[in-house]
Amino acid sequence: MRSFVPPLSRMLLWPSLIIALSFWLKGGGEVGGGFPAGALAGLAVLLQYVVTGREQTRRYVVVRYAAPLAGVGLLLVVGTAFLPVLAGYTPVSLFPRPGQPGMGAGAFHLHTALIFEGGLMLIVFGLVVTVIDRFALSTANQGDEGP
Amino acid sequence: MPVLVLPILLSLACAPLAYFAGRWRPGAAAWVGAACAVAALAALCWELTLGPARLVLPWAPTWGLSLEFTRDGLSGLYAAMALSVGALVVLYSRAYMPHHLAEEGRPARDEVRFQVLMLSFMAAMVLLVTVDDLLLLFIALDLTTIVSYLLIGFDRDDPESRAAALLSLVLTGATSVVFFAGAMALGLQYGTFSLPLVFERAATQPASTGALVCLAVGALGKSAQVPFHFWLPRAMAAPTPVSSYLHSAAMVAAGVFLLQRLYPLFEPAVAVRDGLLAIGFLSMTVGSLMALVADPFKRVLAYSTIAQYGYALVLVALGSEGAPLYVAAHAPCKAALFLTVGAITQVTGKKKLSEVSGLRHSLPVLAGASAVGAAGLAALPLTVGFFKDEVFFHALVEKGPLFMAAGLVGAGLTLAYTLRLWWGLFGGPRQDVPAAPRLLVAPVVVLAASVLVGGLLPGLLVAPSRAAAAASMVHGGASSLELAYHLDARAENLLALGAWALGAALFATRLTWTPMLTRVLEGTSKVGPAHGYRVLLHQLDRLSTWLHEKEVRDLRDRVASVLVPTGLLGMTVLWVTPLRDRFIAGSVGWADVTLVMALAFASAAALATLRARNHLVLVMLISCVGFSLAMVFAFAAAPDVALTSVLVETTFTLLFAGLLALLPDRRLERAQKEAQQPRGRDRISAGIAGASAFLLSWSALSHLQADRVGTQTVKLAEAAHSPNVVAAVLTDFRGLDTVGEMSVVLAALLGVTSLLKLKGKG
Repeated sequence: MRSFVPPLSRMLLWPSLIIALSFWLKGGGEVGGGFPAGALAGLAVLLQYVVTGREQTRRYVVVRYAAPLAGVGLLLVVGTAFLPVLAGYTPVSLFPRPGQPGMGAGAFHLHTALIFEGGLMLIVFGLVVTVIDRFALSTANQGDEGP
Repeated sequence: MPVLVLPILLSLACAPLAYFAGRWRPGAAAWVGAACAVAALAALCWELTLGPARLVLPWAPTWGLSLEFTRDGLSGLYAAMALSVGALVVLYSRAYMPHHLAEEGRPARDEVRFQVLMLSFMAAMVLLVTVDDLLLLFIALDLTTIVSYLLIGFDRDDPESRAAALLSLVLTGATSVVFFAGAMALGLQYGTFSLPLVFERAATQPASTGALVCLAVGALGKSAQVPFHFWLPRAMAAPTPVSSYLHSAAMVAAGVFLLQRLYPLFEPAVAVRDGLLAIGFLSMTVGSLMALVADPFKRVLAYSTIAQYGYALVLVALGSEGAPLYVAAHAPCKAALFLTVGAITQVTGKKKLSEVSGLRHSLPVLAGASAVGAAGLAALPLTVGFFKDEVFFHALVEKGPLFMAAGLVGAGLTLAYTLRLWWGLFGGPRQDVPAAPRLLVAPVVVLAASVLVGGLLPGLLVAPSRAAAAASMVHGGASSLELAYHLDARAENLLALGAWALGAALFATRLTWTPMLTRVLEGTSKVGPAHGYRVLLHQLDRLSTWLHEKEVRDLRDRVASVLVPTGLLGMTVLWVTPLRDRFIAGSVGWADVTLVMALAFASAAALATLRARNHLVLVMLISCVGFSLAMVFAFAAAPDVALTSVLVETTFTLLFAGLLALLPDRRLERAQKEAQQPRGRDRISAGIAGASAFLLSWSALSHLQADRVGTQTVKLAEAAHSPNVVAAVLTDFRGLDTVGEMSVVLAALLGVTSLLKLKGKG
C-alpha cells in the first residue's frame, strides 16, 4: 500500500512557504514577523527532507542556495541598519520616520522594517536548511561507511 | 570636498583593480596596480599644491563620531613615500615573485594574491597617514598590522615564515591595543576623538602621562624600537619585496609617523619625551651593533632599520623639525638596498654575506645604483642622506657635547655597517653570476636616482619638509628648516667628518673586532626581550594545555566551566546592585489558573529530564518544556512570542533528533550512564547556576514597570508605523541588537557548516 504521507507533504510545501511569506509581510501589523516566517519555511523544507530525502529536496533552487541566501539576508539586515548612516541618520533608522505619513493597507505597511524582517527571514531559513542539509549529508555518509 | 579623497580613493582602488587584472592575466596585476598607484601619487601631488584642507564626514553624530581626513604636509610626505616606493616595489615583485613562487613550488597565480596584498597594504598606509581622528588612526594601524601578517607569512608552507608572521602580529597587534587604550583615554579626557579638537583642548589641559605612554608604546612597537625590536629581524623571512616595502617606507615608518602626528600632545610632556629619547639612542646602539655582525644580508638591513628609526625617534623626541625629512630620506636608500639584496638572492641563490663577493663585475648597474643607496644611508654628501644626518646633528648640537658624541658614534657605526654590507656584496674576489633581469634592477636605479636628485638639488626638499614639520608642530607656525651645503667649519660638518673617519676606521679594522663583538652580542641575546618572548609563549602554551585538559576531560566539567562563573557573576551583580524590594511575590487569582497549569506542566517536564532513560526521551522532554512555555505565552496574550516559540521548538526538536543520529552510540550510552550518577561537584555547580538564574529572573520580574514596558512601548510602536509591538521592538527599538544577534546566527551557521564538513571528510 502506498503511503499518503509523501504526496501530502509535497503538496504542503508551497502553501507553507506562502504562509511564511504572509507572516513576513503582515509582521508589522499582526502576528508574524521575519523570524517565525523563516522558521516556518525551514520547517516546510525539513518535512521534505524527512519524507523525500536529500536528493529529491535539493532539486529546489531555494534549498540548494540556502547558505548564500543567509548571506544575502545579513546584507539586507546590515544594509537597512547602516545605509541611513550615510544620509546622516543614526544606525537602524527606519523609514518612514515616526511622524511621517505611512503607506499600506490592513496589516501590511510599506516600511523599511519589511526589508529588515526579510533579512531576518532569509538568515533563519538559511540556517535551518543548511544545518538540515549538513545533517542529511553526514547521515548519508555514515550509512555508506557503516558496517 | 571631493578633491581631498581622490588620492585615497585611487589608492583604495589599486588592490581591486590589480585583482581583476590578475584574473585576466596574472602578469597584468603588477602593471595595473603600479599604474593606479602612480595615478594616486599624481593626484596627491596636485592636491598638495592646493594647500592644507580637512574633510569631515559625520558617522554617528549622536555619539560625536565622524570620519575625519586631513591633507597637510605630514600626510602628504608620508603618503607620497608610501605610494612611490609602493609602485616601484610592486613592479619589482613582477620580476621577483614568479621566480620565488617557482622555488617554493607554488602556482604562478599566487603572484596576484601577493600583489593584491601589497597594494592593500599601501592603501592601508595611505589611509593611516591621511586620517585625522584617534579612532580611525587605530583602525588604520590595525589594518596595516593584519595585512603585514598576511604578507610576512606569505610563504605559508614555511614554518619559519609563519612563526615570524605570528611574532610580528602578536607584537605589533598587542602594542596597537595599548595604543587603543591611550586613544580611548584621550577621547574620554577631551570628549572627542577628532585630532584638531584634541590638540586645541590639550593646549590648556595637558594629556595624562599614562595615555601618552600608551600611545608611545603603540608607536614603538610598530617602529620596531627597543624593547619591541626583535620582531623585525625575524620578519625578514618574508619575500624580499615585502621587507623592502614594509620595513623601509611603510610599516615601521607608521610608528614614527604616529608620534609626529601626535607630537603636539607630547610636546609639553618632557618626561615622556626623555624616555623616547633614551629608547631612540638605545635602539640606535643595539641596531647598529647587531648590523655590524649579522651575516644574512636582510638581517643587516633589518638591524639597520631599527637603528635608523632610532635616529628618527631621537629627532621626534627632541622636537626637531627634521624628523619627517629624516624618514623620507631614509626610505628610498633602505628600499634600494633591500631590492638590491633581493636581486642578488635571486640570481645567486645565496642569502649570506659570507657566501658572496665581487659581484660588481657581473652586476655593474646594480652595484652602482646600490652604491648610491648605500651612500645615502651612510649620509655621504651629494646624496639626500647627507641632509638626514645634517638635521640630526643640527638637533644634537643644540643639546650639548654628550649628545653630539652619541650622534657621532651612531653615524660612524652606520657608515661602518653600510660599507661592510656593500663591500661584502660587491667587493672582494670576483664571482661570476648570470645577469639580473632588467625589471629587478630598474626600481633600484630609479630609487638611486631619486637619492641623487635629492642630494644634488636640496632646494627641492625644503618645501615639503617644511610643510611636514609645520603640520606636526603644535602652533602650526612656519618651519625654518634650511637645507644646503656649507663649506665651513660649523659643528654639523665637523661631526659628519668625524663620523666618516670613525666609520672608515671601523671598517678598516673590522677583522680584529668582529669575533669579539659577535660573542658579546650572542651572550646578551640570551637575556634579551626576544628570550622573554619565547619563555612567555612557552608558558602560555603550557597554561592553555593545562586549562584545556582540565576543561575538556569531562563534558560535565566543560558545561560547569561556563555555568558556574556565569552563575557567580549573576549573583555578584544581584549582591552589589542596591535595589529596594528586591524580591516581590505577586498574587495568584482564579484568572491565572491556566497559566499556572501550563507552568506546572513545564516544571514537571523539566524535572522528568533528570530521570530520562535515553537521549531521545530527553529531547522529547526538553521540547515538552518548550511547548508548555509556548502555551504560557499564548495564555498570557503574547501570540507572537507563542508562535515563534512553537516554530523554533519544533525545528529544534527535529534537529536534535537528527543530531542524535550523528553521534556514536557508545558515546551516548556513556554520557547517559554518567548523567545518572551525579557527582558532588555536579550538584554544586548545578545549584549555583540554577539559583543564580532563578534569583535574577525573580529580581527582574519584581521590578517590571508596567507603564514603561507596556503602555509606553505600545504608544511608541504606533508612532513607529508598526502596530505589532514585538516587531517594533525587534526591528526598531532594539534594531542594533537584532543586527548583532543575526551576525552571531550567521557565524554559528558557518561554524556548523565547516564542522560538519570536517566530519564528512574525516
